[in-house]
Amino acid sequence: MTTTLERTSRGTPDLTRRALSTRRRITNQVALGAITLALVIAIVPLGLVVYSVISKGGGIMSGEFLTEDISLSVRRAGGGMGPAIIGTLLITGGAALMAVPLGVLGAIYLNEYGKQRPLARLIRMLADIMTGVPSIIMGLFIYTIWVLTFEARSGFAGALALACLMLPVVIRSTEEMLKLVPDELRQASLALGARKWRTTVTVVLPAAISGITSGSLLAIARAAGETAPIIFVVGAVNATNWNLFSGENTALPAQIFSNASQPFQIAQDRAWGAALTLIAIVLIFTIIARFIANRFAIKER
Amino acid sequence: MNRNVLSRRVLAGVALVATIALAGCGGNDDSGDTGTDAGSGSNQYANLSGELKGGGASFPNAFYTEAIAEFKGVASKLSVTYNSVGSGQGKKDFGANLVDFAGSDSLVKDTDGVPADSFLYVPTVAAPITVSYNLNGVDKLQLSPDTLAKIFQAEITSWDDAAIKADNPGVTLPAKKITVAHRSDGSGTTNNFTKYLKAAAPSTWKLDSGDTVNWPASTQGAEKNTGVAQLIKSSDGGIGYVDFSDARESGLKFAAIKNKDGQFVAASLDGATAALDGATVKDDLTYDPLNAAGATTYPITAPTYILVRTKYDDPAKKDLVKGFVTYLLNDGQTLAPEVDFAPLPDALKTKALAQLDKIQ
Amino acid sequence: MTTETHTTLTSRGGGPRADRSFMILALAAGLLVLAVLALILITTTREAWPAFSHMGLSFITERTWDPPAEVFGALAFIYGTALVSLISLIFAVPVSIGIALFLTELAPRRLRGPAITVIDLLAAVPSVVFGLWGVLVVAPKLVPVYRWFHDVLGGIPVVGSVFAEPIGSGRSFMTAGLIVAIMIVPIITSISREVFSTVPQADKDAALALGATRWEMIKGAVFPHSFGGLVGAVILGLGRAMGETIAITLVIGGSTQITANVFASGNAMPSVIVSQIGESTGTFTAALIGLGVVLFAMTVIINTLAQAIVRRAEARMRGATS
Repeated sequence: MTTTLERTSRGTPDLTRRALSTRRRITNQVALGAITLALVIAIVPLGLVVYSVISKGGGIMSGEFLTEDISLSVRRAGGGMGPAIIGTLLITGGAALMAVPLGVLGAIYLNEYGKQRPLARLIRMLADIMTGVPSIIMGLFIYTIWVLTFEARSGFAGALALACLMLPVVIRSTEEMLKLVPDELRQASLALGARKWRTTVTVVLPAAISGITSGSLLAIARAAGETAPIIFVVGAVNATNWNLFSGENTALPAQIFSNASQPFQIAQDRAWGAALTLIAIVLIFTIIARFIANRFAIKER
Repeated sequence: MNRNVLSRRVLAGVALVATIALAGCGGNDDSGDTGTDAGSGSNQYANLSGELKGGGASFPNAFYTEAIAEFKGVASKLSVTYNSVGSGQGKKDFGANLVDFAGSDSLVKDTDGVPADSFLYVPTVAAPITVSYNLNGVDKLQLSPDTLAKIFQAEITSWDDAAIKADNPGVTLPAKKITVAHRSDGSGTTNNFTKYLKAAAPSTWKLDSGDTVNWPASTQGAEKNTGVAQLIKSSDGGIGYVDFSDARESGLKFAAIKNKDGQFVAASLDGATAALDGATVKDDLTYDPLNAAGATTYPITAPTYILVRTKYDDPAKKDLVKGFVTYLLNDGQTLAPEVDFAPLPDALKTKALAQLDKIQ
Repeated sequence: MTTETHTTLTSRGGGPRADRSFMILALAAGLLVLAVLALILITTTREAWPAFSHMGLSFITERTWDPPAEVFGALAFIYGTALVSLISLIFAVPVSIGIALFLTELAPRRLRGPAITVIDLLAAVPSVVFGLWGVLVVAPKLVPVYRWFHDVLGGIPVVGSVFAEPIGSGRSFMTAGLIVAIMIVPIITSISREVFSTVPQADKDAALALGATRWEMIKGAVFPHSFGGLVGAVILGLGRAMGETIAITLVIGGSTQITANVFASGNAMPSVIVSQIGESTGTFTAALIGLGVVLFAMTVIINTLAQAIVRRAEARMRGATS
């Protein structure tokens, strides 16, 4: 990229702003403006969605709504989303506990040990294929190998399905983050006598932790919002089921969808109330997780 | 909404009457062979306890969930859940032992995953499928099966077409484009609607019948009955098929359809009951009320069944199933019209109750 | 640190056995991942097989989807998925990269935290909510906008067919693409931001010292360094776009057709699967799962292409600097 350098009267390059050619100045302004515009463009739909959810779901929000059992009949008022909230927390939590450690370890293998070896390339390719799989396919997969085998739906089956969804995203995003950690950090640590495993755990991971957290949180947020696997693999209940491994369960996204599919106004209100609850839960969790991750991060370069 | 409060009060009244009736006429009820002691004529369901899982068709979902809610009042120790995943999935689950009973709008085929002699059909309720429309200025619409078929096949594209005019003498029809709405998801409602068109307009209807059919590209799909209702409401000139309870709740206008006897009948529970009366019931208790004979019959009436096992390994489970289905066939029938479903005619109801005795 | 004249470099972290144990742990995780993913691939393909053997290659070349007649042609849905994904990328990628640049280059420190929270909030909204909002609020409001584009651009010979008559309800490829774009912004932004933040400050300072404007610095120092990572981010976003189910189902309109008109209704593979599976049996179910297998294949092709692009671009850049 060549640009003509303006010169001062003495022949040295003039780096002051007024010597900047108009073309370059305008290009700069336009580009910077576009970049700022991008943030605005993202905020507008977010604001609209949040406004819609709050205005439609705020009305039904109350302590009872958050704790009471689900109403047996959709057309009647009353009842709450208690079982769905517990279900979402248990199932998504279970999925995260399985997918995140496994995914991070897998990414460590891919980036620190496997690199371009055939096994690593195979794993990478399979993970890539799986990032685009719709949740319904994962749900059907778990239905076939788990639900049919055990002849029962359960929250754990849902956690498995969600974990399968999250795993490829966690692996690929974590691998990208690990790639970004400069080799100098690793070499320095090794030079100081640390073993490779210790280098990885105490130097590389903390350096990449903010990116790993972001990737994992995005995977978790997506999993928390999935509807199809829940219906097929977890079932439906009206009362809270604390047992993840036995008995059917329910979760907020499934309740949102089933209530929104009803013509009754009260059901619509419930759907939006559940939506508001879910967004709040995920957001709170994200904020807490980022806060904790920050404690472990190696501050910048 | 007003209707909710009103129907709640009526429901409470019905429940009260039902409970009194139950208490009053102790041994009058069916299947006293369930093994649960009725306890001197009072609530026969009171001793049922445990968990019952069912799932399947979404067509009768509004009725089943309402019935389950009412049932909880008389059988407080029994918890019943109905997961509306669709008839196909419900049958699969039933065959795989995931649920104790299944709800299905369609008959069991070989590929459904349910072994042939392992189940029984129990008819529960029926309901009309309305042809709902949204056309400014036209409050009464009549349609014959041939016209209906052509509209849904996108062969008739404008409201002022000659065929529609012929069905509606004296009505001024605007020259507006017809927007056809159909289900984008697989649905028992689609299945019954297309079966009707196949039966009533065999030479005109070309799209066969099924839970999903190959709708013309110019038509629009929406998810679930509510989606179709929404689509119709928001399109001036829209028409689509929506089940009765959703159509009523959404405030849609419906067309009167020409039945087999040549009468134009609007969708109503009475019309549905007339269709049930006019239908032939087979030995396995399946019947086809679509395009049934009768002057007051509403021809697009859809049946729905509960599938129960012929044998339950767990005798306690057997009692629970029998108890719940008995409730559906007795008190549930009184409940049905409150939620816009048509109860079974007495003769069919008796046969259904007798069917329950066959469960081992 | 000892006080002697030399330091003893005792190995920190146990002997070689600890190292080997950790490597085995990581390897085990990798193998477990391999096993799970392979199992998914194998089971799904096996379940879809009846449909493939019934339709043969016409499964992906046939446009008609007629379950009662047992004709399962996925072409219209492949087209729908591809079109919606393309539209979503066209809108999401510039916006995401813009936000990421804003966060790393332009934003004052205090604004960074809140801005990240905004993106997290966007990610926290479940897809079913986006779908409902899309069909109830957005689609009807966009129809006049589409109509305007149609009036202005519809007449132009080739381009016009892309902006033909909008569907009355607003449920179309374009609406689905826009909604999905909003949904994939968080993941592309998040990874891009991390990638941009690892550009060596020295490179950036050098560019500025040479008199480059902010934008020229970004073009010259930030982008070349980040190219591979950005492609990775876009691939993850694309994966999400192709697999997005419920939001697309609600706003795409459910018609089986292949048309250049982005304002027309269509259908996408995941939507078809989730809509029709509840009422399907036998070969029909196999065909629906077969759509999932087709998605696997599409992802492989796109990822391979992307990796090829990255390798060529990186080789070119390396060639330029070495």
